[in-house]
Order: sequence, then C-alpha cells, then structure tokens
Amino acid sequence: MKKLMTVTTLFISALCNIASQAAEGDVGVAADMGDRYCTTCHGVDGLGNIAIEAPRLAGMEAWYLKRQLENFRAGIRGTHGEDIQGIAMRPMAAKLSDESIADIVDWVGDWDFVPAEATVDGNVNQGRTAFQSCAACHGANAEGNEALGAPALAGQNDWYMITQLRNFRAGFRGSHQEDTYGSQMLTMSKTLRDEQAIINVVSYINTLQK
Amino acid sequence: MTNPVSRREFLNLLGAYGGTSAVLQAGTALGFMPGNSQAAEISLQASTGKKVAILGTGISALTTAWELTKAGYDCTLLEASHRPGGRMFTVRAGTVIDEIGNYQRCEWDDDPHLYFNAGAARIPSIHSSVLKYCKELEVELQVFVNESKTAWVQDDAMNGGKPVRNTDYSSSMQGFVSEMLAKSLGKEELDSSLTESESETLLGMLRSFGDLNEDMLYKGTVRAGYGSGGFLDHGTKRDVIALRDLLKTRLAGNVMVTTQEGTGSGPLLMQPVGGMDRIIYAFANRLGDRIKFRSPVTEVMVTDDGVEVAYERNGVTEVLKADYCFNCIPSHLMSGIPNNFPAEYSEALNYIRRGKAYKAAFQAKERFWEKENIYGGITWVNAPTQQIWYPPHNIHGKKGVVLAAYNFGGANYTEMSQEDRIEDFLKHGEKVHPNYREMAEKPITIAWHRMNHMLGCAPRWARNRGGWSDKEEQMYETLRQPVNGRHYLIGDQSTQHSAWMESAIQSAHYALADLDQRVRSEPA
Ligand SMILES: Cc1cc2nc3c(=O)[nH]c(=O)nc-3n(C[C@H](O)[C@H](O)[C@H](O)COP(=O)(O)OP(=O)(O)OC[C@H]3O[C@@H](n4cnc5c(N)ncnc54)[C@H](O)[C@@H]3O)c2cc1C
Ligand code: HEC
Ligand code: HEC
Repeated sequence: MKKLMTVTTLFISALCNIASQAAEGDVGVAADMGDRYCTTCHGVDGLGNIAIEAPRLAGMEAWYLKRQLENFRAGIRGTHGEDIQGIAMRPMAAKLSDESIADIVDWVGDWDFVPAEATVDGNVNQGRTAFQSCAACHGANAEGNEALGAPALAGQNDWYMITQLRNFRAGFRGSHQEDTYGSQMLTMSKTLRDEQAIINVVSYINTLQK
Repeated sequence: MTNPVSRREFLNLLGAYGGTSAVLQAGTALGFMPGNSQAAEISLQASTGKKVAILGTGISALTTAWELTKAGYDCTLLEASHRPGGRMFTVRAGTVIDEIGNYQRCEWDDDPHLYFNAGAARIPSIHSSVLKYCKELEVELQVFVNESKTAWVQDDAMNGGKPVRNTDYSSSMQGFVSEMLAKSLGKEELDSSLTESESETLLGMLRSFGDLNEDMLYKGTVRAGYGSGGFLDHGTKRDVIALRDLLKTRLAGNVMVTTQEGTGSGPLLMQPVGGMDRIIYAFANRLGDRIKFRSPVTEVMVTDDGVEVAYERNGVTEVLKADYCFNCIPSHLMSGIPNNFPAEYSEALNYIRRGKAYKAAFQAKERFWEKENIYGGITWVNAPTQQIWYPPHNIHGKKGVVLAAYNFGGANYTEMSQEDRIEDFLKHGEKVHPNYREMAEKPITIAWHRMNHMLGCAPRWARNRGGWSDKEEQMYETLRQPVNGRHYLIGDQSTQHSAWMESAIQSAHYALADLDQRVRSEPA
C-alpha cells in the first residue's frame, strides 16, 4: 500500500484503505446478509425477475410462501431432474431454519403487492372458459383459497405461471409422493390440453384482480 | 470411427483445403498483419463537478470513475456487495464467498502467495487497456504459465484411465499429424501449387514439428521426456501412444491448443502479483469513499436533465440525483430493478442471457505437483472438474493453492451441494495425483450462477452458434446509445466479446468518449 501512496498525489486525501475496509466488512457480512438474499433473484421488493425466471413474491400469502419454502427445503419441490427452475430455487431454501422461514415470511409481508405486467397475449375468451374449472379452488377472481391450499394467481408473473402449468402437466412439479397440494394441481393441469390452452388461461388470469 | 483415415481421404481433404482456404498466392503482401494493439488515449474535457452516479464496481465502473474523477467530475459509486470488483474476485485467508445458499469463508493460511482468482485470472499481452491501467496504477505483474508439457491429460476412456503427460499426448499427436501430411506431399495436388523450395520448407517444418525420422515416419520422440537416462547416459525414447489411443479422448482439442483466441492469449499470459483484485483495489483505494458498499440500487429513473437512482443503505432508501449515470449492473439483475428505460432498450437488456461457470480450489499441504516435475500449466480431465491448474508463482514454497475445477460454460456444480462438489473434484483429481485427497486442505468452490449480486459469468448475446443475427446487432446498438443522453450501460455485457476485462474497460472508454462529446457540445 505504501507504494501506491507515492504514485499519485491526486487523491492522497481520498486514499483510505478500502482493502482493509472491505476485509473488515467481510467479518460482518455473515450476519449482514443473513438469509435475506432473496431479492438478488426475485427482484427489488420481490417483484419478480424474468431474466432469472424467479417470480413475484410481493403480496404472496404467508401460508403459501411458508409451505413452498418448506417444500423446497424438504426436497418435495425442486428435485425432479427436469424442473430446471425449481432446481435453481431449491438450494436457496435447503439451509433455512424454521426461524429463518418465519423471519422471511414476515419480511416478504412488508412488500406491497403490485400486479405483474402482462407479457403474453393469448385468447382470453377461451381462457375464461378453461378457468371455470380452476375457479373452484383458486377463486373466481384467482384470489386464492387458503382452506383448499390454492394460492392467488391474479397478479403473478404470467411467464412463471406458464412454467408451472407446463411443469405440473409434465409431472416435473407435484409428482413427489409427499406433495399433497402439488399432486392435486398436477391432476388439474391435465385439463389444459396443450401449450396454447396454457397461454389462454394465463392470459385470462392476467385480466383478474384479487 | 474405428477406420484409420485412409490416404485417399486425407488427400481429398488436403486437395479441398489447398483449393480453398490455404492462401497459396505467391508474393502476397502481408496486408493482414495486425498492428500493435494499443490502449485508447482518454482525454476528457475538465469538468467542474458534474455529478455522476456509477452503478456497480466492476472493472468498467472503476475505469469510468477513475477517468471521470481525474477530469474533475463528482462521482459516486453504488455497490450492492460488501466488496468491489464483481467478477474480478480473489479468495484468500478470511475472504467471504457469498454464494447464495452456500456461504463460505476461506480459512487458508494467511500468506500472500496463497490466493485464488475465482473469476478473471489471466491477462493476454494484447489486452492493452488492462495492461495500461496496471502500469498507471503500479499493479505489479508476473508471468502466468498457461501450458506445461509435464502436466497431465486424464480420461477414463484413454489408457485405462491412467493419466498421460501432456507431452506424451501432444508429441505423439503432432508426430502422427505430421507424418500423415508428409506422406501426402509430393502428390500432384501439391506439386501443382507449391514450388520445389516451398515443398522443401514445408517438409522440413513437418519433420521438425512432428520429430519425424529419416523416412518421415513418427517413431516416438525424446521430446516426451526420456524413458531412461538422458543426462549421464544416453536417453531412451518413451513408448509411442498409438494414434487410435490418442483419439479416444475428446480432450484432444483442449490439449493441443493453448492459444485460445487472439495472438496474445497463448502459453504466456500475465497475472497481478498477489491476485487479480490488486487491480480492483488499485482503483478502489484511489476512489476512496466515493464508493458506497452494501448499497444495492433499487430503482433507476432517467429524467429530462439527469438520473435519479434509489438505493438501499442500512435498511433505508436513499436517492442519488446525478447528471449522468454509468451502469454495469448485470442485465439479468437490472431486469429485476424498477426503471423507466424505453421499451426497446429494456427489450435489448432482457435479451442478454447469463452464462455459466464454476471453479473450485484448495490449499495444498505440499507442492506435490513439483515432485511430478510440474511447475505451472493445466492438467485436462474429462470430468465436470475439467481442469487442474498449478500455481506458477512461489516455486518451491511450502504450500500452494491448486485450482481443482474450472468449467467455463458448465453448470454441473451450480446444482450440487458443497460436499458433493468437493467429493467430485477429489474423486477425479485422485485419478491424476494419487495423493490428491490427502494433500487437499480447506476446499472452496464458486458457482457463478449463484454468486450474490452476480448470478452469472459471461453475458451471452448470440443465440445461434453461427454468430450474431441482424436483430442482435440492432439490439446491441440500441444498448450502446445512452438513454436520453444520460444513462450509459457499460461492462462486458455492452460489448461483442464478453468474458474479458479488456472488453469491459473498452466499454467504459466507449461510453466516456460519447459523454465527452456531449459535454463539449453543450452551450457554455
Ligand atoms: C470464471 C470467470 C473467469 C474469467 N476469466 C477471465 C480472464 O482470465 N481474463 C479476463 O480478462 N476476463 C476474465 N473473466 C471476465 C471478467 O471477469 C469480466 O469480463 C469483467 O470483470 C466484467 O466487468 P464488468 O465491468 O462488466 O462488471 P462485473 O464484474 O460484472 O460487475 C458488476 C457489478 O455490479 C454489482 N451489482 C449487482 N447488482 C447491483 C445492484 N443492485 N446495485 C449495485 N451494484 C450491483 C456487482 O456486485 C458487481 O460489482 C472471467 C470471468 C469469470 C466469471
Ligand atoms: C438463485 C436465485 C434465487 C434465489 C436467491 C431465491 N430464489 Fe426463490 N425462486 C427462484 C426461481 C428461479 C424460482 C422459480 C421456480 C419454479 O419456476 O418452479 C423461485 C421460486 C420461489 C418460490 C415459489 C413461488 C411460488 O409461487 O410457488 C418461492 C416461495 C421462493 N422462490 C422464495 C424465495 C425466498 C424466500 C428466497 C430467499 C430466501 C428465494 N426464493 C431466493 C430463484 C431464487
Ligand atoms: C383441486 C384444486 C385446484 C384446482 C381445481 C386448480 N388448482 Fe391450481 N393449485 C392448487 C393447489 C393446491 C396449488 C398449490 C400447489 C402447491 O402448494 O405446491 C395450485 C397451484 C397452482 C399454480 C402454481 C402457483 C404458484 O405460485 O406456483 C398455478 C399456476 C395454478 N395452480 C393454476 C391453476 C389453473 C390454471 C387451474 C385450472 C386449469 C388450476 N390451477 C386448478 C389447486 C388447484
């Protein structure tokens, strides 16, 4: 460092030793970062990030969020070899303690629900028809139903819902023996005949407000 | 695959080659000789304190800040992480590796030689801008050894899985290739295109390239080292590895090519003494408290006459208003940060994909490779680990840090637990060095896809192997234009040759030149 000092007189005054500052900072980083690293992937205030394929968490029901984190942690979700996005999420939850999960659920609860922007443009009318069979569990406005364990869909990133419906249909999500909620949804996903049907129903969900 | 290449096929191939690609015209002036590559001269018009917000502290951001600060601009750098440098990251005693879900703290001995460049590690000689700043900021450099002929090649499919020396492999391959070429010389195809003296030169080169015997046949070479003797006694040749055996490994391409790209990236490369982050801290120390750490940007709004950047610090959101903004936050993270970029710009930004890469390293109890006559270079392994690097510095020292895995473009480790990653590289390393497991202390691993605030390695633009589509070229141009003349995207993501520090620096120079032009043309 001494050598550096002699090189430039320009910033002598500003020369504080960042090398050691950052090294000192390192010590605190563990506590600092804690388990609240979710926004790196899920976007500022959990608004979702398409480039990471990590969905909106803001506004998510506490009970659903908790269950998903527990499912990821237990390997009930995100362990199927073809579930590419779930596999990316699973290690993020693998080491969470019950306390961390409780803390995260609180923290996520602070974020305002902001409906996601629509990115698909399917046939809304056909989607509306298809959604009739979904409403029983997810609610007429896709507002979710805690008693049935079905989360709100309104306002969720459409690209994410599309991945989920594809994955449920293919059995990449929901086929784990202990995934009682996922398996129900797996069955229901079969009512969507093809890719276009998925896009249509998601386009309809885009029109709903919870 | 089991048939040897027939002479006829080979000649056909050669004929085709001679007819098209091989430039055989006599007397061509060497018009394609590249000039020396030189770093751009930056001479910005002095500013009286225009405010600049610089997002991230990648090398492009630091370059920008350094040049602007010298010219009198008032710069603030916002960095989400606890450390500067992004993908220029050196691990040593005490370093925190903030891989998400796989937090590590390096516990190697506290010794200046024991470090590991987890991101960028090598500087080619034509990367003039990198070298220029090393010189300007007095970052001491040393030679990095990219190839060692005594390092190994290991593939379960070859030699019963036993490693062979790089030199055994490459000498034999060179020998056979030369022999095949030499056999075909003198045939009509060549007679008609080469003069006698040209043919002689070519033959002479082949004899020496392959170490062929009088009959232009490859019968082994002492280049591969001696079977026995060699100093007091006559040296004997070692066994030749049959061509068919050489062809059992797909690593041939890696082993035979040490010059990756560009004339500067060969066996000789450079590294800063003490770690790649010496460059980062050379900038950062001079920029001092202009850098705000642990200050993730949470919103970027371009206004009519500037930029407003929101960031979080100690749980509080603050807003930085500036005249200009230079942003090196990776595009795939920027897409999760609210902003008011024009649709076209966002589309281009979201188009860039994040590349994959992982590395692993450990502190070796002893420099065991030196006992195997290895003093640097790369061992190639056909496994997820792919490469083993031996430190070329501190020769004959006590310990050393070994790179135990490096897969550029691979994701295997991304999904593995820390324990599985370590077991993976130990298991494969053991096939090369029997005492590997015993020598390995305190392993660390880094999956760039999961590194906090990076989540990726090299930005990927082109979706097709064939190259950039017109649409991609167009999007690239869109991103190179500052939003409203105020917001500049920088970093290797804003270049057509990602994964090099040189590109990142040049992106900063490009943006600075644009800014300077705008500032100069402003009414006084
Ligand atoms: C494994 C590997 C090997 C490589 N090998 C070489 C090599 O041998 N030679 C070579 O020349 N190059 C190499 N590279 C490439 C080189 O490291 C990069 O090209 C260069 O460092 C990129 O610099 P950048 O300016 O684009 O910024 P980056 O390094 O990408 O920095 C981005 C910055 O943005 C910050 N950031 C992220 N989110 C936020 C936010 N919300 N708010 C504020 N800041 C944020 C990050 O923390 C980081 O500091 C390698 C890279 C990798 C990963
Ligand atoms: C490395 C990136 C990454 C990080 C870090 C990350 N996630 Fe995720 N997360 C994802 C991805 C990708 C998905 C989508 C999985 C899928 O499509 O099945 C996801 C999915 C989820 C889901 C399921 C959402 C739903 O509607 O079912 C929840 C809940 C979640 N993440 C919470 C979190 C929390 C809480 C954290 C912080 C502790 C976190 N994530 C950190 C990438 C990440
Ligand atoms: C029988 C009740 C039921 C019906 C009917 C049903 N679902 Fe579900 N759905 C669920 C449950 C329960 C879950 C949560 C699964 C879990 O916890 O992993 C779910 C999850 C989902 C998810 C993933 C949400 C997320 O955040 O990851 C989507 C998308 C979805 N359903 C869409 C639909 C659509 C579209 C239909 C109609 C075709 C439908 N569902 C019908 C019960 C149902």
